Amino acid sequence: MKMADKKKILIVEDEPGERAWLAAFFGDHGFDTETAVDGEDGFTKASGGGIDLITLDITMDNQSGVKMFSNLQRTPATQNIPVIMITGLAREFKTFIERTRQVKDPAGYFEKPVDRDELLTKVRELIG
Amino acid sequence: MRIDTYRDYFESMPCFLSVQDRDLKIIAANERFVRNFGDPEDRYCYQVYKRRPEKCEDCPVERTFHDGRGHRSEQLVRTLDGRDVSILVNTAPIRTPDGQVTAVMEMSTDITEIKQFQDQLRTSQRRYRSLFEDVPCYLSIQDRNLQIIEANRQHREAFGTGYGCKCYEIYKQRDTECTPCIVRQTFADGQAREHEEVVTRRDGQKLNVMVTTAPITDPDGEIESVIEMSVDITQLRRLQSKLSSVGMIISTISHDLKGLLNGLDGGMYLVDTGLKKGNQERLDTGWEMVQRNVGRIRSTVLDILYYAKDREPDRQDLTAAAVVAEISSLMGIKAETLGIDFTTEIVAADDGFEADRQALRSMLVNLIDNAFDACRVDKQKQKHSVTLVVDGDEQEISFKLTDNGVGMTQEVLDKAFTLFFSAKGSGGTGLGLFIANRIVRAHGGRIDLESELGQGTRFVVVIPRRQPPGEPAEELEETASCDGLQRAAWHEAFGDPEETEPDP
Repeated sequence: MKMADKKKILIVEDEPGERAWLAAFFGDHGFDTETAVDGEDGFTKASGGGIDLITLDITMDNQSGVKMFSNLQRTPATQNIPVIMITGLAREFKTFIERTRQVKDPAGYFEKPVDRDELLTKVRELIG
Repeated sequence: MRIDTYRDYFESMPCFLSVQDRDLKIIAANERFVRNFGDPEDRYCYQVYKRRPEKCEDCPVERTFHDGRGHRSEQLVRTLDGRDVSILVNTAPIRTPDGQVTAVMEMSTDITEIKQFQDQLRTSQRRYRSLFEDVPCYLSIQDRNLQIIEANRQHREAFGTGYGCKCYEIYKQRDTECTPCIVRQTFADGQAREHEEVVTRRDGQKLNVMVTTAPITDPDGEIESVIEMSVDITQLRRLQSKLSSVGMIISTISHDLKGLLNGLDGGMYLVDTGLKKGNQERLDTGWEMVQRNVGRIRSTVLDILYYAKDREPDRQDLTAAAVVAEISSLMGIKAETLGIDFTTEIVAADDGFEADRQALRSMLVNLIDNAFDACRVDKQKQKHSVTLVVDGDEQEISFKLTDNGVGMTQEVLDKAFTLFFSAKGSGGTGLGLFIANRIVRAHGGRIDLESELGQGTRFVVVIPRRQPPGEPAEELEETASCDGLQRAAWHEAFGDPEETEPDP
């Protein structure tokens, strides 16, 4: 694959270890990566352009993650970037967010512990 | 009237008739008497009626001879065939034309059946009274004005006598009717009803009760009163609450484990690929993740074990110096590895206090671990420090733990000690702070918490040096939930899903 063809994934995650392994994992499978430590940082980087897909961890009190998702959806420059949501919560939350019709559903939805192979399949499905 | 007619009346009266002379000898008897007691044949009434050799002590016939007036009494007599018969005796004097009482007529009515009914009624009343009094629930009977006209023993003991008082005054300590009032509803339609209530005993204790009402009707079928039966379900509700707490604990643990597994998995990936690629940096990062998450598993298991035991503190004499030394040695190496400056200081003059050594250590380690994690996650500052200061006065000892880590938002602060609290940056388990709080409360102490996002956090644990005689640890209300916090975040960002437009 030529350098110009490499897709870029923005990893929004406040746990350093999680950022590290996701970046290594995507990197190992032919993607460029950029990391953000929280929702604000993530939105800034997403708005900057060049991002093909976003993985967003919204566990627990990471309200900035939820806000970021809202902002992404409401901003023309970012609303078409596919977002994969990672959460520590169960199916009920998925049902809950699907009932919110004001926003599009995320492109993908993964519950921890994340199955790496499934995650990769989904990413490839979304951005090749 | 002719003699024959009187004779006929005498013979056909539906009672036992006999006539006695002054000596109490029977000089006449009707057919019914003869049939039941035999031909008197000049015998005395006490011989015939009572089979006695001498006269009765309180003889109504004698009294009539004495005062010339009729008398009544109840007697027990025996018939020819050996039957015991209860009789109601009425006597009447028979006079000569000049008014002398020459004989006395004794009229005896068989009241055996009536007496049997009376006994049965008395037994029945006693039984119902006993049932009403002794049944193990609160019983009261109200009239149409909701005044209590009857109450059983348990009710009187719990709520006071209250006769004539309104039921809502007694049960609820209110001065207005309840809405809805199921007693009123039962008066209105005659239907039994059921409703859960919270009532207050006269000693102030609140009870959860299941109340059932039923109408009491008079012989014409009109509802004259309503009986209210209240069964104490307080224990049941407490158990339910505990069970739901247990449910939440399990959810918390499950949530924590998901996060841990994710971290372990990620760490293992980095170790695995780091080894294959010969990438030392990746290997180190991965291994550190594995170690940290294994440590978190250990914490979770210990927390679960503590929660399962939920024991009273095992108080021992401790010194601040010893506690601090132990903590330093436990946490010092970890601090060094993380590059955190960890210092301890004892300011308090008096060193000694009483506490459960294991629980205290566990609690402090938990808080310090959280502080370390808050520092580790904070990317804004270069140098991180965590300090533990032991202070206090004669009455209390305090442990102040300060860090300059990532800090917490107000919303996170508010929910810090509830289940499911696990600020991302802290790495603590959802159970950890909850249990730390529990340990402190079990010692009769408290935890105060201050934090500023981006600046750091301060925990202050204060416990009495010597324990007052045991008050049990309070039940901690769990209001926050994992799902709840995340929904709140979603609401804030997107509004309530219920308010969205319906499908076209």
